[in-house]
Amino acid sequence: MSDALLNVEDLRVSFRTDDGIVRAVDGISYAVGEGKTLGIVGESGSGKTVSSLTTLGLTRSRGSDISGRIMFGGQDLVAMSDEKLRTIRGNDVAMIFQDPLSALHPFYKVGWQLVEAMQAHGSISRKAARSRAGELLQLVGIPDPQRRVDQFPHEFSGGMRQRVMIAMALANEPKLLIADEPTTALDVTVQAQILALLNDLQNRLGTAIIIITHDLGVVAEVADDIAVMYAGRIVERGTAQEIFNEPQHPYAWGLLKSIPRLDSPRGEELVPISGRPPSLINRPSGCHFHPRCPYVQDSHKQIDPRLEPVASGQSHAAACLLEPSVRQRIWRGLREGRDLESLQRLAASSNGQAGGTSGAPPAPATASSTPPSGAAPQEPS
Amino acid sequence: MRRSTRSLAAFAATGLLAVGAAACGSSSSNSSSGGGSSSASGSPKIPLKAGENPVGQQLTGKKKGGTLKVYSSGDFEHLDPGQSYYALDYALIQATNRPLFSYPPNSATTVRPDLATVLPTTSNGGITNGGKTLTVHIRPDVHFSPPVNRAVTSADVAYAIERGGNPNVGNAYFPAYFGAGAPAPLLGTSSKSWKGGPIPGITTPNKTTIVFHMAKPGAGLLLQALSLPISAPLPQSFVAPLDKHSPTTYGSQYLVATGPYMVQADKTGKIQGIGYQPGKSETLVRNPNWKASTDFRPAYVDRINVNVGGDATVIGQQTLKGSNAIQLDTPSQANVKLAYQQYPSQITFTQGSGDHYVALDNQAGPFKNVNARRAVWAALDRAAIVKARGGSLVAEPATHFIYPGVSGFVQAGGYPGPQVDFNKNPSGNMAVATKYMKLAGYKSGKYTGNATVQVVGANSGNDPAIIQIVNSAMTSLGFKTHVTEVDQATMYSKYCGVPKQNIDACPTVGWIRDFADPLSVLYATFYGPAIVPTNNSNWSQTNDPAINAAMQKAALVVDPTARAQAWANVDKMLVSDAAAIPEEFGNQPNIESKNVAGVNQLWNEGTWDFAFTSLK
Amino acid sequence: MTTYIIRRILWGIVLLILVSALTFLFFDVFPSADPAILRAGRNSSPATIAHIRHELGLDQPIYTQFVNYMKGIILHFNFGYSYYSGASVLSLITNRLPATLSLTVGAAVVWLLSGIPIGIISAIRRGTLLDRTAMGVALVFVSMPVFWFGIMLLFLFSNDIGRYHIFPGAASYVGLTSSPVDWFTSLILPWIVLAGTSAAIYSRLLRGSLIEAMGEDYIRTARAKGLAERRVVWRHGVRSAITPVVTIFGLDVGTLLGGAVITETVFDIPGIGRLNWQAIINADFPIVQGTVLLAAIFIVVANIIVDISYAYLDPRVRYS
Repeated sequence: MSDALLNVEDLRVSFRTDDGIVRAVDGISYAVGEGKTLGIVGESGSGKTVSSLTTLGLTRSRGSDISGRIMFGGQDLVAMSDEKLRTIRGNDVAMIFQDPLSALHPFYKVGWQLVEAMQAHGSISRKAARSRAGELLQLVGIPDPQRRVDQFPHEFSGGMRQRVMIAMALANEPKLLIADEPTTALDVTVQAQILALLNDLQNRLGTAIIIITHDLGVVAEVADDIAVMYAGRIVERGTAQEIFNEPQHPYAWGLLKSIPRLDSPRGEELVPISGRPPSLINRPSGCHFHPRCPYVQDSHKQIDPRLEPVASGQSHAAACLLEPSVRQRIWRGLREGRDLESLQRLAASSNGQAGGTSGAPPAPATASSTPPSGAAPQEPS
Repeated sequence: MRRSTRSLAAFAATGLLAVGAAACGSSSSNSSSGGGSSSASGSPKIPLKAGENPVGQQLTGKKKGGTLKVYSSGDFEHLDPGQSYYALDYALIQATNRPLFSYPPNSATTVRPDLATVLPTTSNGGITNGGKTLTVHIRPDVHFSPPVNRAVTSADVAYAIERGGNPNVGNAYFPAYFGAGAPAPLLGTSSKSWKGGPIPGITTPNKTTIVFHMAKPGAGLLLQALSLPISAPLPQSFVAPLDKHSPTTYGSQYLVATGPYMVQADKTGKIQGIGYQPGKSETLVRNPNWKASTDFRPAYVDRINVNVGGDATVIGQQTLKGSNAIQLDTPSQANVKLAYQQYPSQITFTQGSGDHYVALDNQAGPFKNVNARRAVWAALDRAAIVKARGGSLVAEPATHFIYPGVSGFVQAGGYPGPQVDFNKNPSGNMAVATKYMKLAGYKSGKYTGNATVQVVGANSGNDPAIIQIVNSAMTSLGFKTHVTEVDQATMYSKYCGVPKQNIDACPTVGWIRDFADPLSVLYATFYGPAIVPTNNSNWSQTNDPAINAAMQKAALVVDPTARAQAWANVDKMLVSDAAAIPEEFGNQPNIESKNVAGVNQLWNEGTWDFAFTSLK
Repeated sequence: MTTYIIRRILWGIVLLILVSALTFLFFDVFPSADPAILRAGRNSSPATIAHIRHELGLDQPIYTQFVNYMKGIILHFNFGYSYYSGASVLSLITNRLPATLSLTVGAAVVWLLSGIPIGIISAIRRGTLLDRTAMGVALVFVSMPVFWFGIMLLFLFSNDIGRYHIFPGAASYVGLTSSPVDWFTSLILPWIVLAGTSAAIYSRLLRGSLIEAMGEDYIRTARAKGLAERRVVWRHGVRSAITPVVTIFGLDVGTLLGGAVITETVFDIPGIGRLNWQAIINADFPIVQGTVLLAAIFIVVANIIVDISYAYLDPRVRYS
């Protein structure tokens, strides 16, 4: 994908701490085409935020090591000087953050903060910047923008603040917008509005978007491509279609099952992935997911799987030691609502290894719950 | 008669001198080289300023003119001669006023005429009527400073004295030497009908003559009391309206002078905000109406800037290392040590800066028994007290009550004091103490009663250490004690000066003479009839009929020599009675800049005399 | 806001009356020297003392004394007269205020100009040798007794008793109006002494506060906007981190305007602190009362100003 707008190649980010080296991002590669939307999905601590902050150079510090390449407009953002990168930041590449209240400076008026964003890149008169600030607020759907520019962030509701953040990010008409959990702090109806807004703006402005989220449901509607991250790596990558229809990685299955669905019976428990994300200092051996994987086999604890195409020539790729055919059968079984035990047997038998019960996997919390049926890509209704 | 606030403040400064004194412990042995000084037992035991000790100091200055800088961490209390009663104040008052008589700086005991033309004696007709009448002639050629300008008359002296009885002025010693409390009150002042105003006992037959009338022969004492600032003339027309305020605004707002210097003032005589900035500074300039020919004061310097405030250590250093400066209040112990070792020509020690004693309640409690008092005296480690006060440079163990520099000191035994066994050993003698405890009726030699001895002392400076030493002397004899430490003013006004508080021991009281007469040391402090319910100065409540009678008699002796002997006898009686326990005789350290030819006034606690000090 | 300020001022007045009442009570309840006796001097007759007590109003019940005192202030702006010098307390205070004002304002400038940059640099260079050195030095300054520090500076750098004759020493203070240059040079050492502790405290406070602020989301936003780091630190980080500093700054200045006894004594600067201290020693109650009231006024006013400026500093704060 050399023609992509952003091309991340073998990006590694680690932080030296008193407790040891935190390998936050461990060799990831992805690309975003112009006007396209990439969803990066993962739990907190999976490295998804670090990777995007690194794109903006915001993880640079005395305690961090960054390697790999981030090609943007023919330039490597990793190798770029701080000063040069600053001219790209907020200009060609913009970012919005999870909590729109804490992300806006509480002491400055919204208009002031918008103007500041514009004046950081290029000489625009204060007056022009102010009138543009009003336009931007209008663009993101804030009513009465001329009055609102003179208000402070705490005078806005959560959704409106996120619109302000988006307006600020769009101030310099960036080619790429990175949205880090843009809807997490908002309630459900507002979430939908913000996603719709992003979608709409993308259509009108042609901005490429990276949406970072722990919630596959968020990207279901807007993403063209999806990358699933776990423990600093991409464990599955594909088009939204592929990920939702033919998810390959047991972690992706877990994420899919934990999408809250409006058509689920009321009171039904969401199915989280059991266990906790691994330490990024001492990662599990072999497949980093193995302590939490219901289908783990002994060999998985030694072999570190690589991200490999599901079928040759496909962009859909996964890093899983289970045979693709086995994965397909298990996923099908999950959709049909088969019990976990039989699926685990399936994994063990097809693995060709004796004693599939050895190395008992952690007791899955999913055992007694009803697996989602008809797990096609979910369209939030 | 002054309570020893100054000395206490003085000694209060730091804790270093004990070390300093120890370092120069041989000082008393090499003191004999200190130059020709007075009589044997009165001779100084400490090395004084090289070749020029204050007794034999030169009064001829070095240079005329210049500005003398005076550092003082404490401020003056009163600039009005009628109100002032404080050594610091006297230093300024003496340079700006002309009392009838004054002490030359190098004499502590002999007054000389100042505003008066001649010292009145029986032979020159000044003392007549058997000592009941004192006639003083004053100079016709002394003038008030602007804005008054006119010549001083005898009526100005009469007014200055009579206003001492005005409560708005509240002169502290008027009652003791002129009024009802005096051994020989001026006529009329002791009558109930006299409510202030002109004193019947003072007459001014003409402009240069003033006559004092008494019913008893008090001329000998009165003559000396007229050296006090109260006898400095004041212009009634100028001062009387100010005296209507309470307190009077003369001295705080307005001031006129008769001496060589005046506090800088505006055309109306107002000083506050001009030459007098309370708590900040005082500026003395030459009094344009002063004539050198009329005065024995040479008044060398042109101007005196008094700078008030600052840390004692800092201003001491400024004085020692700087130029044109003297430190008016007592230097810190650190600086005394520094000066003694590194700037020996810039420090002087003058004797007679007062004394301290343990006042023991003679009227009630365990110390009603004279032998119990003697026992504590014998047990007390006065050498330790001297050390705590700052060592042998600034203190000597006391053996009796009339202290060095006061007439009668030599007659009462000088430094060794009256010969009694309980004052012999400065470090204390437990054998003697036990003997007196047994005589007091405690067979074991230890106190066996139930009473708890109430001890009240001051809480600043070295005083807590003194309280400790006194307390341990008492407890070593079996006394149970309860010690209260309060600030010095409270100690006097709420405890030790209030007889009904029944304080058994006040170990940190002190006294400073008003002038060299022994009466001013012993009368208010040990005369029984002087006991009053509040503001009492007879802290030990001594009220021995024999002693009272002896004091009455001695107070009225006119002849100086006989007078000294009479009071020395009173002193011996007080010692024998152990009316109180003298702790130490104080010496006053003074420091000056290298280019200052400072002169100390021996009579006033030994500090500097502005009118004699000159620049080199 | 206006009603808030008015209410605060009214409360402030109530507080000042309370402070005055307490001061009266303290002098009445606790053993202190009798002003009448001190005024009269020793050996004075009981009649004299009684007269003085009457003239000073000390023979009246304490509440009458208090009411009269308050009346004097409110009706005549009269704060009474010194028992000793007879000078009006108001004139004494106005006479001393310029020195205290000079000392405080200058010291405040010094400690802000030193404490704030040090705090910022330490926060930004957190963990470096520079930071550790600065914070170590700050700790020394915080724990150093003011008295000792003052004396040391005098012994080292004053032009009379110092080892190196550089700055004017103790007692060199002159009013600003009489000689601005001498005023300035005479105050250099006192400013350093008075500012030393505060500069250290402020740098430590600001460092902590800025480190916290620099971890906030809005700092990330500011960086993501592509702002220059200097602007991120100053306009976004310091702007937030400074608010706690403003609070203690207001209170510190308010307190110091009430007098800095030790510094004033060591450097012999005739300010309010020394006036108060001397008055306490002399039991010169009217001056004590006046200076205590003045100090209370400064603190109350400083508090109000801090609260009002807070509303400007942090738009989220609203008073009603």
